[in-house]
Amino acid sequence: MKLGDLLRLAISRLGTGKLRTGLTMLGVIIGVASVVALVSVGQGATSGINSRLEGLGTNLLSVTPGATTTGATRGALGSATTLTIEDATALTTLPDVAGVAPELTSSRLVAVGSQNETTSVIGTTPAYPLVFAYQMWQGSFLTQASVDHSLRVAVLGNTTASNLGLGASSIGSTIYISGLPFQVVGILQPKGGVGFANPDDEVLIPVTTARDLFVGTDSVRTIGVSVASQADMSTVTAEITSVLDQRHGIGAGGTPDFTVTSQTQLLSTVGSISTLLTVLLAGIASISLIVGGIGIMNIMLVSVRERTREIGIRKAIGARGRDVMLQFLFEALLLSVSGGLIGILVGVAASAVIAVLAGWAFTFNPVTVAVSVVFSLIVGVIFGVWPASQAARLDPVVALRYE
Amino acid sequence: MSEPVISLEHVSRVYDTGKVLVPALEDVDLRIERGEFVAIVGPSGSGKTTMMNILGCLDRPTAGRYLLDGTSVEDLDDNGLATVRSRSIGFVFQSYNLLPRTSAIENVAAPLAYQGVARKERLARAKEALERLGLGERLHHQPTELSGGQQQRVGIARAIVTEPALLLADEPTGNLDSHSGAEVIDLFRQLHATGRTIVLITHDVDVAEAADRQVHIRDGRITA
Repeated sequence: MKLGDLLRLAISRLGTGKLRTGLTMLGVIIGVASVVALVSVGQGATSGINSRLEGLGTNLLSVTPGATTTGATRGALGSATTLTIEDATALTTLPDVAGVAPELTSSRLVAVGSQNETTSVIGTTPAYPLVFAYQMWQGSFLTQASVDHSLRVAVLGNTTASNLGLGASSIGSTIYISGLPFQVVGILQPKGGVGFANPDDEVLIPVTTARDLFVGTDSVRTIGVSVASQADMSTVTAEITSVLDQRHGIGAGGTPDFTVTSQTQLLSTVGSISTLLTVLLAGIASISLIVGGIGIMNIMLVSVRERTREIGIRKAIGARGRDVMLQFLFEALLLSVSGGLIGILVGVAASAVIAVLAGWAFTFNPVTVAVSVVFSLIVGVIFGVWPASQAARLDPVVALRYE
Repeated sequence: MSEPVISLEHVSRVYDTGKVLVPALEDVDLRIERGEFVAIVGPSGSGKTTMMNILGCLDRPTAGRYLLDGTSVEDLDDNGLATVRSRSIGFVFQSYNLLPRTSAIENVAAPLAYQGVARKERLARAKEALERLGLGERLHHQPTELSGGQQQRVGIARAIVTEPALLLADEPTGNLDSHSGAEVIDLFRQLHATGRTIVLITHDVDVAEAADRQVHIRDGRITA
């Protein structure tokens, strides 16, 4: 029997039981749609995180405190409070460093009139926009003088400003951070939110002010260092290490109480984590594809039983085992592949909706689609072969008398 | 004289039920020449069904030789038998056995599909066969939309569309009223007149009268 004939038979057969066909396909549709959607979500999240990290500036080195060690127990990285504002100041003297911005962060209630929100209040230095790649929108950034004199001035992230109802005319107005009045000196340009954390929702104040009013100690969470040229990244990393080793009294072979991380390291770590997550999600989703395949096998076995007499007739009029086998296999394949195609449409639509909701760029990945099609084909073959071979092996004498 | 269409030599068919061996055909010799119209007559349980399965290459003899249209079939595997059925045999069944949810013309065209005939030619030949049997107005009717007599005529059209060497009919009038039955028998007479070899298997002596020769079978043996 020819390929076209087999296909025509399968289509007309599946057309006669639309409800059954639809329900059987549903299993594959759900399986493929969830694979496509979850992989796309995984990739969208990854590229979102990546662009956020790249937005920080590729010449960025982050210095973070090391772990606390209490007896034999080692705490989480960054749990120690060993880095200080003075450490940050010391780093500014290094030759290839373009800027140093410590971050002294606390979460505070910020209020203007009846508007208020809780957001990150970060104590930092004038180098902050340079190091973390921000542009001014209105007013000016914190000055060295404001840091030197612990002035109560604030620069607002764009989202924070609009949440508080502040605009271009608000420069010079007063906001209240934990009830204390601050003068707004500038508003940053938006950097663009990507998924999880919004880089535009923050309030920046002089690092000294933050230490005195909100944090109480001068131990900083992070020191961002902007390196003048990308070529000097490793040199500067070594210089930072040696300066801090010296300041913290760590000799050769001692365990440093801080970590210097470059943006590329961070990117590759995030990349490998999110790849792992994507694979995990796809793996979970493909379980439902297998369940869908079992649904197909079930329906095909029932179908072979129901159509025993038809199989007998076909054999009597000249069908070979192979013809019968292919007829049933084609039905299973048509079920799984058309289910797969519908599933791709559903999955792509779902991932587009999720992308819009989460605010990252919708990426359409043809590889995922191709893999899904191949996968549903394989499911069709695996779960279609057994019922089809059952049909092919039927004895025509018995099948013709089957009621 | 040309070779016979059917030649059975010492053919036996024994069913192995696991505990006992049940002989259904024992040492049967039978020759049917080209263009003959033969009725194989016997009561139920006489071995006619086994005979029909063997003649139709649906089953193999356990002993003896069977030459169909010059081909020895007792050693063929399942695929070989299917090829022989496709090329040399046209079946007409008591219960018509049309493919369900399939129009008359598609039913008649189906055996040609298994011969690898192109669809256009298949449909043309099926249409011609149906028209020859007076069903030119019923080409696109489903089996459920046809009367018993019409269904059986579709069945006959399907059996002759491949121009087989042997037309094998198993109680073709068994499910029909006497009028339709007579029409079907008449059709067989007409087909016989055009030179077809027909084997009619029946328990009905009156139906068997239509054939030129009667072969009586009882307890797995040919008696006359």
